[in-house]
Amino acid sequence: MKEISQLNLPQNVRFTEDHEWARKEDGAIRVGIDDYAQDQLGDVVFVELPQVGDTFAKGDAFGSVESVKAVSELFMPLGGEISAINKNLEESPELVNTNPYEGGWMIDVKPDDPGEFDALMTNDAYLEMLKGL
Amino acid sequence: MSNPVKKTRLHDWHVNRGANMAIFGAYDMPLWYPSGAKEEHVVVLTRAGIFDTSHMSVVMVKGFGARDLLQICFSKNLAACVGKNQQPLTPGRSVYGVFLNEAGEVIDDAIVFQFDDALFMVVVNAGMGAIVSAHLKGYVGSRKASVVDLTDQVGKLDVQGPQAARIISHILKRPQEVFTHLPYFSFKGHFDAAPPTAETVTLTDGTSILLSRTGYTGEFGFELFVAPDKFVDLWQMLIDAGQPSGMIPCGLAARDSLRAGAVLPLSHQDIGAWLFKNHPWPFALPYEIDGHGFTKDFVGAAALQRSDSGEYTVAFAGFDLRKVSAADPAIVLDNRERDIGRVLTCATDIAIGRHESRIFSIASPNKPDEFTPRGLSCGFVKVTRPLEPGQIVRLKDKRRTIQVEIVADIRPDRTARKPLAKFLGK
Repeated sequence: MKEISQLNLPQNVRFTEDHEWARKEDGAIRVGIDDYAQDQLGDVVFVELPQVGDTFAKGDAFGSVESVKAVSELFMPLGGEISAINKNLEESPELVNTNPYEGGWMIDVKPDDPGEFDALMTNDAYLEMLKGL
Repeated sequence: MSNPVKKTRLHDWHVNRGANMAIFGAYDMPLWYPSGAKEEHVVVLTRAGIFDTSHMSVVMVKGFGARDLLQICFSKNLAACVGKNQQPLTPGRSVYGVFLNEAGEVIDDAIVFQFDDALFMVVVNAGMGAIVSAHLKGYVGSRKASVVDLTDQVGKLDVQGPQAARIISHILKRPQEVFTHLPYFSFKGHFDAAPPTAETVTLTDGTSILLSRTGYTGEFGFELFVAPDKFVDLWQMLIDAGQPSGMIPCGLAARDSLRAGAVLPLSHQDIGAWLFKNHPWPFALPYEIDGHGFTKDFVGAAALQRSDSGEYTVAFAGFDLRKVSAADPAIVLDNRERDIGRVLTCATDIAIGRHESRIFSIASPNKPDEFTPRGLSCGFVKVTRPLEPGQIVRLKDKRRTIQVEIVADIRPDRTARKPLAKFLGK
């Protein structure tokens, strides 16, 4: 498993305590799981995503990511309506491991409250949180 | 003060290799390496994998009363347990069974190896050496038998997969001799520096090993036992010898998914503190050839014969690879949504898939053209009514419900029992 210093934690995304990332993308917020999460999970073999149009509050479970060994729940970093899902994950769930911030993206959210995105951790704050784990 | 975590002699090797580590049976063990649990599962079906299994315990049973002691405590009849004609156990042969308590519940499963009339080796699970030793000692009575717990004093590793024999050949002094007449559940050699056995297995550097045709994956392969101070060297010799054939180290995640697909129980999960009755492992008990009654009495036999728990352990295979989490707990629902039991194990065998209602593996010789299995969930449930292969039940945890089929077998075309000659030569 990766050392904390080996993790890829980009500057242009925000992070949650549940190891998801969020990034502004064409008027929506794009969400996925971060390098720490994919490293801990191991080989992702299935991703369960919601439907476009579904609505959730911040902190709600919106889906699950499944490795050979276990299943983990995914939690909304912010509340809103699902405006898009990454259909490539059906055929290629391993994108979550190989490219967690780009090809492995999971959902796009039309946010109810833009303040919720601003409240998420920067990569520096997330790194500090990881060190304390 | 809490118990410190135990480490095998390869702990640092695993960490330096980038393994994802986790605690199992009080040992800090590799779950998978950077190759990942998926590739590590598949490699055992296509090439070979090497597993550090030195966290398991070895117990020696010695003396003229040793055989008697094992006959009293072990669930197999050593006088009638080899082959379909139930031949006696002899030097160089081993047998799988369980140790039950008087209530007929499983203490642990084990493989018993015979060296000679007064020397047996019992291999049990991680952390169970002291418990099984104490259990055996409790039945010694006035017999001339001694029980020696060799926990952490024997190095053990598994090499499993079609390339296993070829790879091991590279590190043996006399490979052609060793790989002649070595049927499933037989062994040669000893890990003692001065081996007390007639036939020795020596490495190119002179080290003595015990080479056993056993394993926990259901696929062709071996377990190797060696003196602890030679264990790391043996591992590295095999890593090097196996590299050209594409052998990789594999962790406990792959070990678990392979054994689940091979319909093998995990001690303290699929077998344990409940009556050892109505399950997919009758071969662990000393049934007569016709299946009616036991061929010997042993600790727990009376409980099995007189009691019934009304519980049935059966194997299942899902229709896709999605699992439920047995730990949630996950319950079993019948076709009227009634709760009829619990999930014991739910794993993903990533190397199998369904095609027109049959299950094939990537290694199936008769698999359909262009068949790429995506994996199936599989494992065991314990339910309150008898279920037959073909019946459909639903498994439900906090998150999801999946449909699964009760099956007699899971991963098809397993290679553990295939003739040795098939795996030798170019």
